[in-house]
Formats: sequence, C-alpha cells, structure tokens
Amino acid sequence: MPVVDRRRFLALSAAASFAPAALLADPKAREQYMLQMNGYAVNAETPLELLTDYITPVGLFFVRSHWNPRTPDPKQWRLTVDGDVEESLNLSLDDLRKMRVTEVTCVLQCAGNGRALYTPSVPGVQWSYGAVGNAQWKGVAVRDLLERAKVKSTAQHLHTFGSDDPPGNVPPFHRSIEMEKVMSDAILAYEMNGKPLAAMHGAPLRLVVPGWCGDHWMKWLVRLSAQPQPQKGFYMDTGYRYPLKPGEPGVTFKPEEMKPVTELAVKSNITTAPKHAKAGAASTISGFAFSGSPDIAKVEISDDDGATWRSADLDARHSPWAWRRWSHRWTPRSAGKARLFVRATDDRGQTQPRESVWNQSGYLYNGWHSVDVEVRA
Amino acid sequence: MKLAILLAAALPLIGTKFGTLPEGKGKSAVESRCYACHSADLLLQQRLTQKQWTATVEKMMRWGAGVTEDEKPVIIDYLAKHFGVDNRSFKPRHTLPIAPVRQRP
Ligand code: HEC
Repeated sequence: MPVVDRRRFLALSAAASFAPAALLADPKAREQYMLQMNGYAVNAETPLELLTDYITPVGLFFVRSHWNPRTPDPKQWRLTVDGDVEESLNLSLDDLRKMRVTEVTCVLQCAGNGRALYTPSVPGVQWSYGAVGNAQWKGVAVRDLLERAKVKSTAQHLHTFGSDDPPGNVPPFHRSIEMEKVMSDAILAYEMNGKPLAAMHGAPLRLVVPGWCGDHWMKWLVRLSAQPQPQKGFYMDTGYRYPLKPGEPGVTFKPEEMKPVTELAVKSNITTAPKHAKAGAASTISGFAFSGSPDIAKVEISDDDGATWRSADLDARHSPWAWRRWSHRWTPRSAGKARLFVRATDDRGQTQPRESVWNQSGYLYNGWHSVDVEVRA
Repeated sequence: MKLAILLAAALPLIGTKFGTLPEGKGKSAVESRCYACHSADLLLQQRLTQKQWTATVEKMMRWGAGVTEDEKPVIIDYLAKHFGVDNRSFKPRHTLPIAPVRQRP
C-alpha cells in the first residue's frame, strides 16, 4: 500500500487546506470552533474540515452526554471492582497510577455519528460527520486490573457503571462488555493526549474500547463488576442495538431481532479539498479512514461516480484501531462541476458501501463521502 | 418543579447559548415540560413524523416529563408542525464545548 513520510504528508495536507486561515493560525480560536448539537446535556461535534490532525486536540474532540453528568470529586473518588472476583478492589487514582501503564492511540466514534444523513430520518442527536476523533489514551489495561482482583472463570461480562445518575425516571446508563473483548485490549484511561482526562471526557477515569463504538467507552467510571450474564436495562435491551438482519429503509425491528452495536464500520471522510481547481492541474485532497478492523488497507478516490478508482497515499503514522490520514493528488480532466467520492477498505477486506445500511436508531453511518469541486478550463 | 431545581444544580457551566423555539400554539407547554432535561437545540434538529413525535413524547412522559393529558396532543401537534420530516431549519451554533463541569457537592 502507498505510504508517504510524515513531512511530505503534512506539506501535502497543508497545501490543500480550505479552513479559514485565522482559525488555523490561532490554535486557541481553532479549539473554540465546535458545533453545538445540544446546549445541555452537552453534545458537540467537530466541523469536518478541522479534523485534519493525526491526534485530534482535546479542545476539538467531540463531546457526547446523555444528560447533565454528576462528575465525581477526584479526591474522594474510588473505583470498586467486584462480582466474580476472589479479591474485591477499592482503588484511588494514585493506586491506579502506580500500576503498569498501558497506552493506546485509537479512534473514538459515537455510534450515532452520521445519523442526520439517513433517510427516512430517525430521532436522536442529529450528528453529521464530526462525532469522531483519534486520541492517545493512557491508563491501566483492564486485564491487569482484573488479574489483580483474581477474576474467576465464571465471569463472562464486565458490567460498567459511571457516576452520572440520570434525571427523573430516565433509566441509568449501565452497560456491559464481553470479557473476551475487555481482556484483550480495553484500558481504563486517566489521560488523553498526555493530559489528565477532562471532565467532559469522563474524568477521572473512562473506559477505552479500541475498535468499538463510543457507547462502550463508559465515562466517570466508579464501579466494574465481573458477572456471568450481560447487564440488563434500557441501554442494553432497547438502546444501542443494531438489526441482526437489516431490512429496507424504514423497516423497524423489535429488540430481540437486534444485537448490541459493537464494532465500528469501515469509513473514510474527506477533510480537505479545494473548492476550485483547474483542468489538467493537480490539487491535493486529504482525509482520514478507520474501521472496526485494526487497520486500513486502502483508500480510493473516484471522480466519475464510482466507475473507476485511484488509490490515495496512506500516512505512515498508525497503531491498531487508530485512523489513517490519507492524501491524494487529483488532476481534473475537464472543466465543470466535479464530485469526488472516497471509499476505504480495511485489512479484513471490507469495503465501504455507497449507501449505508439504514437502521432505526441511525447507527454506524458509513456511506461514501463526497465533495464538489468547481473545475475551470 | 423539584426535578427542575435538582437538575439546575447539576448543570455544567458551559457558557453557551441555547436554541429557542418558534412561536406557535404549544410553545409554552413544550418550554415548561421539556427544558428540565435538555435545551431546545435537541428538538430544533429533529425531523420526525407525527407518529415518531407521539412515540418520543410518550417516552419522555415515562422518563419524567410532567405532561398532562390535555397538554399531550398540543405538544405533539406543535412539534410535528415545526419539526416534521422536511425541517431543515437547524443550524448548530459555533461553541466552546470543553469547560469545567461542576463537581458533585
Ligand atoms: C426527565 C428528563 C427529560 C424530560 C423532562 C424530557 N426529556 Fe427528552 N430526553 C431525555 C433524555 C435522557 C434523552 C436522551 C438523550 C440522549 O441520549 O442524548 C432525551 C432525548 C430526547 C429526544 C431525542 C430522541 C431520543 O429519544 O433520544 C427528543 C426528541 C426529546 N428528548 C424530546 C423531549 C420532549 C419533546 C420533551 C417534553 C415533552 C422532553 N424530551 C422532556 C430526558 C428528558
């Protein structure tokens, strides 16, 4: 696969940027430029044209909250580990910081990113493109913690609890994840991009589940419980489910005809493209691609409605489930309006479809993304 | 009202402005029954049929929105009229989302 070195890659991406210059020049201003999807509870997405970094800055990282959280006081805060373990634990942040450090760089995407792009439309936060980011997460491997608690073989699911009690009669956001997944690569993160986790991102501790949608990445963690059965409740049995066999757009299913939404779907977006180009002259377009599979095998661009495709260059920076930055030198053949499509293929061979599979909650949108460019003669 | 007061205490200090609802019959009922848990932005961006709005309002009633039986049809009609499937009026405002969240007392 084509890989370009970092310096050349950055030069390429900078050349084609169309984000307002002032915004890029002033990092402060840039960090303030988010799109408010809901004032309270806070839900905000990143404008797609600002998702141009390999590591998304914390201030530009999307925020998803179900309700106004009650965040823990870090001084009083404890994490308890109980259930099918031989030794229950009750740990402070310092206790966790003394444990072996594990770091991962990977994508966090809201299950509902792209919900606004589905027809017929479905209720929920109407995210377009920006409920996604790529960050460095540092903390303790869930495996290290559960081995310290001497987890029993009867434990098949890890139940996760945050401190964010819901308002009124709203069901609590209690979840669980298969033990096999958390033991293989999940971490309990207390740092994001080298800084203590921000309150909005789940301080003091959140779960990081590489390759899986954000609903598994529990924020404001206070308790983990190893259990033989999955968690029950609205956010397991009704919410965050995806049809076992999706039907036509508009066809809805009962909860038992669905399963929890887990892995991300292969997806790519164009973050940077010129608005105008000249026939015969090359210009650069760039973006990112990721999947529920650990890596991206190729990213392709089409300017003829998907009839032919050209491979983009993949940036060398990568770790499992992180996104790949890509860029492509595109030379328009003739004047007129051009529509550029992008599609990615992951290392399991899954290719992004033209149309995303409609589902009643609007999860996992991954239809081909396109931009329009005006080409002059 | 107790619910609203409780929630106000847990509000993050976000310093953002919230969307406002268009004028019309039912506006004040929506304001008094729906603002306790989320700002109007969440309503302004929806594109739902009368049926989807009915299901959503009933879900919110189960979740604690104190909607009376008299208010229910007025609220549903208002939402379906202004935020139906053809609604394209929502433009998210630019904002600074990362700000301190008040700690649990
Ligand atoms: C007791 C708190 C509460 C009240 C009062 C309330 N809601 Fe909600 N509402 C919620 C929660 C919690 C969610 C889920 C938010 C999320 O997941 O982002 C929600 C979500 C929604 C959504 C998004 C779709 C969905 O189902 O998630 C809509 C639309 C909505 N509410 C409408 C209303 C309307 C209309 C009212 C007033 C009649 C109302 N709400 C009152 C708590 C409430």
